[in-house]
Amino acid sequence: MANKNILRYIGILLILIGMNSALVSDEISANQSWSSGTAYLLPVKRYEIGIFQPLRYGLSETREISLHPIFAFVSPNLNLKLAHDKIGNLQFASDHGIIYPTILMNLISREGTGGIISPEFEIPHMISIYNGVILSKPLGNYHLITVKVGFNFAIKFGELDKRTTIDLPLVFPRLNVFYNSYGFRGGCDLKGKIFKKWYYLADIDIFYFPGADEDFAFEHKGLIQWNKSKKFQLCFGYKLSYCNYPFGSQWHLLPAFDIQFAKQLKTKK
Amino acid sequence: MVNCKGIALISFAILGLMIYSCDPLVNKFDDVEDAEMYTAKNIETPPNNIDTLIFMTWNIRFGVARLPWFGDCCGNKVIVEKSDVHQNLENIANFINEVRPDIIFMQEVDIESKRTAYIDEVQWLLDNTYFNYGCYASMWDAQFVPSDGLGRINTGNAILSRWKIEEAERIQLPLRGDQDALTEYFYLRRNLLKTKIAVPGINDFYALDIHMSAFSTDDTKQRQLDRVIEELETLDNTNCQFVIGGDFNLIPPGSDSTDFCDEDKCAGESFHGPNDDPMHKEGSYFTPEIDWLQVMYYNYSPAVPHPDYLSDQEHYFTHTPEWDGFWNRKLDYLFTNMSWITGTDSTYQDITVQNSLSDHVAVSAKLEVGNGK
Repeated sequence: MANKNILRYIGILLILIGMNSALVSDEISANQSWSSGTAYLLPVKRYEIGIFQPLRYGLSETREISLHPIFAFVSPNLNLKLAHDKIGNLQFASDHGIIYPTILMNLISREGTGGIISPEFEIPHMISIYNGVILSKPLGNYHLITVKVGFNFAIKFGELDKRTTIDLPLVFPRLNVFYNSYGFRGGCDLKGKIFKKWYYLADIDIFYFPGADEDFAFEHKGLIQWNKSKKFQLCFGYKLSYCNYPFGSQWHLLPAFDIQFAKQLKTKK
Repeated sequence: MVNCKGIALISFAILGLMIYSCDPLVNKFDDVEDAEMYTAKNIETPPNNIDTLIFMTWNIRFGVARLPWFGDCCGNKVIVEKSDVHQNLENIANFINEVRPDIIFMQEVDIESKRTAYIDEVQWLLDNTYFNYGCYASMWDAQFVPSDGLGRINTGNAILSRWKIEEAERIQLPLRGDQDALTEYFYLRRNLLKTKIAVPGINDFYALDIHMSAFSTDDTKQRQLDRVIEELETLDNTNCQFVIGGDFNLIPPGSDSTDFCDEDKCAGESFHGPNDDPMHKEGSYFTPEIDWLQVMYYNYSPAVPHPDYLSDQEHYFTHTPEWDGFWNRKLDYLFTNMSWITGTDSTYQDITVQNSLSDHVAVSAKLEVGNGK
C-alpha cells in the first residue's frame, strides 16, 4: 500500500516537474553560459542544471547534450544540439531530440489519487523525434534574438486511445504529437541585460498539428533572471498559454520559477 | 540598460501577473449566484392556454446509461466514447419526446466533462427535444481532477422548460462535513437550482431542482434539506407557487429496507462485521436518515402520496447502484405547494430498464393549473 502511494506521488511530482521544465527551460544570456534555447552551445565540459530544467552538458565545441535526469528513468529522453557554420553574423545550430513517454504515462494511468489518465487504458510503446534549426543574432551588446523552427513526429507500436489525452496547459501541446503523429513547432526568443546581474527573457512558442481537431497552441513566457554568477542563477516570471484542447480553446496564465546551477569541469590542456 | 526604477516596475508587473494568474483549479461558487441560461436552437411556440402541466424529475447519470462506471457501481469505466454518449442522449431525448413533460428537472447533467467527451448535454437535449429554454447550475466544476483519470469536469442540475425562464439562481447547499480539506476542495458542491418560469395561468411560479449529497455519513443531508426548506418556506410565505423535483438521496419515511450495504458492496468489500471499518458503505445506509424527509411529506404535496408508496414500495423505486440490477430504493421526488392530479404520477421503471437509460428512473406527475393553494 505504501509503495503504491509512493509511486502515485512520484507520478504527480514528475508531472509537476515536466510542467515546470516547460515553464523555465530557457535561461537568459547573450553568451555561451546559460544559453539554453539559443543557437549557442555550452562551453566544453560545462554543465548546467535546474530544479525544473534539464541537465545540459557541453560535449565539444560543436555538440551539446541535454536530458531530464529524473525523467530519464520513467520517460527516457535525450536532446542533441549541434553547432553549424555561422551564416553572416547569425549563429546557427540544429536541435535533435527523442523521448519515450510510455512508462511515465502508464505510471500515471491509475486508480485513485494521482490517476491523471484513466486506468482503463494501456499506453502503447511510442517515441517522438524532433528535428529543428535555431538561429541567433546579437542585437547590440546586451540583447540576443533567437528564431527556431522544427518538425516533430511520433512512432507508435500500438493503438493510442484519444481519451488518454492530458488536457492541461503545457502538457497537452507537448503530447499532442502522439495523437496526431506529426506536428511543427516554432518560436522566437528575445533575451538581454536589464541592469548589472539582472536579465530578461521574453519568448513565444507555437505548436501546429496539421489536420488535428486540436491543431494549435501558443505559449509566451516572460522571465526575470538574477544571474549571480556563472554557477548560479534564479529565474521568476510567468507563462501565458493558449491552446486548442478537446473541450475548446482556453488561456492560462501561470507562475514560472527556477533555481539553476552550473559547473565547469576541468579540461585537459 | 534599464534603471532600478524600471526593474522594480517590471518586477511588480510580473508579481501582479503571477497573482492574477492563480486561477483556481476548482470553482467554489458564491452562496447565491446566477445560473447559466440556455436557449434551444429552434424555438417552438409553447401553448398559452393550459389546464394541466406535466412535471418530470430525472437523474440522467450524465448520459452514460447503465455503464459500469467506476464512481458509483463497482465498475471500471471512466471515460466514455463520444458516440456512446450521443447514442445515450438520443435515447433520453426519445423518451422525453414520448412522455412530453412541460418542465423537467434533471440531475447529473454534464456540460464540459472529459468523461462524456465534453458534450454540452443541456444544449444537446434542448436542441433535440421540444423544450425551448434551459438553465444549469454546476455542482462540480474543476479544470482538472487528478484522480482516476477524471480530468476536467463540469456537471450539475438543469431545468428545461417550454416557457421562458425569467430568473435562475444557483443556491449553494452546505458541503459535506465528513471530509478532509483536500478532498473537500476537489469534491462536489451540491446546489439548489431555483427558477422563476413564465408559465401561463400561474402567477409567480417557481421550479426548483435539487440533488443532495449521496455519500455523506454525517448530518450533511439534513443541513442541505434545512436550506431547501428555508427557501421553500420563503416562497410559500410570499404566496408564490412552486414545484420542486430532484434526487434527494433520501428514502421515504417508513421504508422497509434502510440498509443496502450488502446489496451495494463491491467485490472485496465487507460491512457490518466487528472488524469492518467503515461499518457501513457510504451512501448505502439510510437507517439514521429514515425520518428526514418527513417534513417534506408533511408540509407539501408529494407526486407519489405517502400511503401509496407504503402500500407498494417496489412499484415506486427509482434507483439502483447495480449496473445490471433492478430498482431497489426510492430517491427521486416531486413536491409542490399546489395540487397534483390524483393518479397521474408515473415512475417509469419498465421503460428505463428496458432501454437502459440511467441508474435512476424518471418520475412524472400532472399538476392542476389555476387552482393554486
